[in-house]
Amino acid sequence: MTNVIEARDLSKWYGNILGLNEISLDIGPGITGLLGPNGAGKSTFMKLITGLLKPSRGRISVLGGSPWNNPVLFSRLGFCPEIDSFYEDITGLEFLLGMIRLHGFPAAAARSKAMAALETVELAADRDRKIKGYSRGMRQRLKLAQTIIHDPEVYILDEPLTGLDPLGKRKMIKLIRSLGGSGKTILVSSHVLPEIEALTSLIVLIHQGKILARGHIHYIRDLIEKHPHQISVICDRPRHLAADFVGDANVSRISFGPSAGEVVFETGNRDQFYDRLGKSLVEKGIEVEEISSPDDNLQAVFEYLTGK
Amino acid sequence: MTKSSVGDWYRAAGRVFRFYFFLARRAVRTRLFVILGLVPVALAVIVRVVFAGKSGEVMAVFNDILITFFLQFYIVVLSLFYGTSICAEEIENKTLHYIATRPVSRSSVIAGKSAAYILLQTVMVITGLTVSYLIMNAPSLKTGGFFPLLLRSYAALFLGTAAYTAVYAFLGTVLKRSLIIGLIFGFGWENVIQYFPGSTQKLSVVHYLKSLLPYRPVAGGKLSFLLFRLEPTSPLASIATLIIVTAFFTVLACLVFSWKEYRFDE
Amino acid sequence: MDVGTEVREKGYTGWEGRLIQRRFKWSPIARTGIQLAFRKKRFKPLFAISFLPAFFFLVGIYVAERLEDFRAFFREANSFIAVDPGFFRAYYSNGSIILFILLVLAFAGSGLIADDLKNNSLQLYFSRPLRKKDYILGKLAVPAFFVSLLTFVPGLLFIIFKLIFSGSFRFITEYPWLPLAVVGQSVLYIGFFGLYTLSLSAASRNSRYVMVLVVLVYFFSEILSGILKLIFRSPYTGLFSLGGNLNQITAVFFSQKTPYAFSPVWSFLVLSILAVAGFIFLFRKIRGVEVIK
Repeated sequence: MTNVIEARDLSKWYGNILGLNEISLDIGPGITGLLGPNGAGKSTFMKLITGLLKPSRGRISVLGGSPWNNPVLFSRLGFCPEIDSFYEDITGLEFLLGMIRLHGFPAAAARSKAMAALETVELAADRDRKIKGYSRGMRQRLKLAQTIIHDPEVYILDEPLTGLDPLGKRKMIKLIRSLGGSGKTILVSSHVLPEIEALTSLIVLIHQGKILARGHIHYIRDLIEKHPHQISVICDRPRHLAADFVGDANVSRISFGPSAGEVVFETGNRDQFYDRLGKSLVEKGIEVEEISSPDDNLQAVFEYLTGK
Repeated sequence: MTKSSVGDWYRAAGRVFRFYFFLARRAVRTRLFVILGLVPVALAVIVRVVFAGKSGEVMAVFNDILITFFLQFYIVVLSLFYGTSICAEEIENKTLHYIATRPVSRSSVIAGKSAAYILLQTVMVITGLTVSYLIMNAPSLKTGGFFPLLLRSYAALFLGTAAYTAVYAFLGTVLKRSLIIGLIFGFGWENVIQYFPGSTQKLSVVHYLKSLLPYRPVAGGKLSFLLFRLEPTSPLASIATLIIVTAFFTVLACLVFSWKEYRFDE
Repeated sequence: MDVGTEVREKGYTGWEGRLIQRRFKWSPIARTGIQLAFRKKRFKPLFAISFLPAFFFLVGIYVAERLEDFRAFFREANSFIAVDPGFFRAYYSNGSIILFILLVLAFAGSGLIADDLKNNSLQLYFSRPLRKKDYILGKLAVPAFFVSLLTFVPGLLFIIFKLIFSGSFRFITEYPWLPLAVVGQSVLYIGFFGLYTLSLSAASRNSRYVMVLVVLVYFFSEILSGILKLIFRSPYTGLFSLGGNLNQITAVFFSQKTPYAFSPVWSFLVLSILAVAGFIFLFRKIRGVEVIK
């Protein structure tokens, strides 16, 4: 597989603060998820890939060339930034026309591409509205439109689902997956695990500027599986419920939480535990108010991986 | 740079020019600046009405005032705002990533944007000056006696706009607070330096602009040293200097913008 | 991509890159030391002040070039450096003070409301127990602070140092109303420039544009007044000049001859109308909810 994006010993300092710490990574065609909490270095990495920042040390290569001061590259690369900012006094259509004309397309072709991009992101009806009148979700869709308009080979999407409603997210996920399926190279960043899960199975976990883990999503899940999970149940008879699980080999710990009626179980085998939980609740006629998993999230994975 | 890459650069600059000329035309602030440039037109109408049929001295002085208004105020304000905006507004409005991730080189962005803003300013300036001049000199339209001065004014204003825009564009690429430095330069330095003796005057853009236009010497007296004193440079040297200043600072701005990393305050 | 080839285990991981050799090994130390010096609070003004001797010597070079002119100037030294109400008036009417006030306000005041409009922060303010009056007063306090540093504080210091250097209270017994005049003058500048800055800041979401407006509007009024004077040759053209109106009232405060041959009441009226109009504009612009069509 030819690598489209190659990073070797890539480091970036902001003054005395280390933003990226010796990143070496290869990204090929398909969708790769870049996962990390806020401040992990995702945006820094993406800005290095898109030539908005220069590496302090190491090198980055995109489609065989350095992205810094390499305008030719940008006819083959599309970037959807995280920041919500536009030229506010023009319409969505005018903005896209401006962007596509910068690629050198003649007027007629530019207009047709702009309209197609607007149709794809479902903004065609609002094309003649000024951008300052757009809602948050519309602005996000417009950002995506300017990314896809010139049909690049490489897409760098920094938190592309931010600000979208659930239906909008679904549609966007579908679009991104279709682009990935057609052989494009897509790097998507997010701090929300389920969003990345819905897009791809290839993940790079980044934290404090370093790559913590990379691989298929089920590998990350395995890490979570090995780490005991916490499940919180709020019900009317927590001690009765707890008593039922004391002898269960899958449960390593039981404690009572701060909320009234809360009991917290720790288990190494979530699937079997949930199976047993459902049966126990029905048999004993326990009224359940809430079942939640406090640590089934990215934060827990990171805490585990970083030892906090 | 090969021939084709030079051609590509110009084409890229042309695309940038077209986009930003369109954007600047549509901006609300452009309308205010246009209105400002039309104030002399209103004043010219008032002068013509009030002094209809009277002596020509006020007319002549008002012609000078017109030039002073455009030369020492209007183009300074316009180029200060538009020149510093070339780089600074992309940073402040956080829109840099849109233009920086298009297949146009960073230097062509500066060149294209500068050209767009210079053209827009020139149109605004020349429109206001031409209309007010025509109103002021309506009786002598047939003889066209004022045309040479008008053409010299066009040249001075165009060169002044270009030079100031280039200087402010460079300031905008280098400094975070380019506008405040620009204000100090435009309304402080450019005014004060004219009172300095000898060759110190040549360290200002306005000196060369005034050298291109007719000059009325100021009478002496006790406080003569406080009054404006022009020791003009030859017109040819002034034009060459203004062109060199424009080219030099534009190239510098291109180089800085190509080399420097810009980060948004997040 | 390899599966599971890289997992960073728990704990701190530092930078593992390769150190490079510097040609001048002392340069990072020097650079850091200089940066640290500038980070100290009082260093920047001290550093700026330390250039004063050089500046004065530079002025000396200029004076040396124009020695004859300055000799003539100092023949009338008595009338120039007499510290009386005229001295105070000269300070407050000085063009450079106005210019510095404008520059400071352009820098510190242009974004006061413009940035709030741009970032839709007004909703955040008014979701707290704040009224428009509180918001405006809070914002007004910013230009008021800076203008008072340039007007009230120097005026007060001039009086105090005059008393100290003269070694007697004769000055204050001769002009007992002077401190009140300084206060009045400062209130005039604070009120006018405060509302001037805020209303311009409310006029646009672009603080850069406002910065230019703060200086532009003032200077434009001066130019307009000059042009109208040339046309109409009437002292009332001074009413078009913001600086002219301010100077007219300043002269009254310090019992000096007014620069224009019309009643200062007209200047007061003009400034009051502008201040009220500015305030009304400001009040209407500040809204908790913005509707964009």
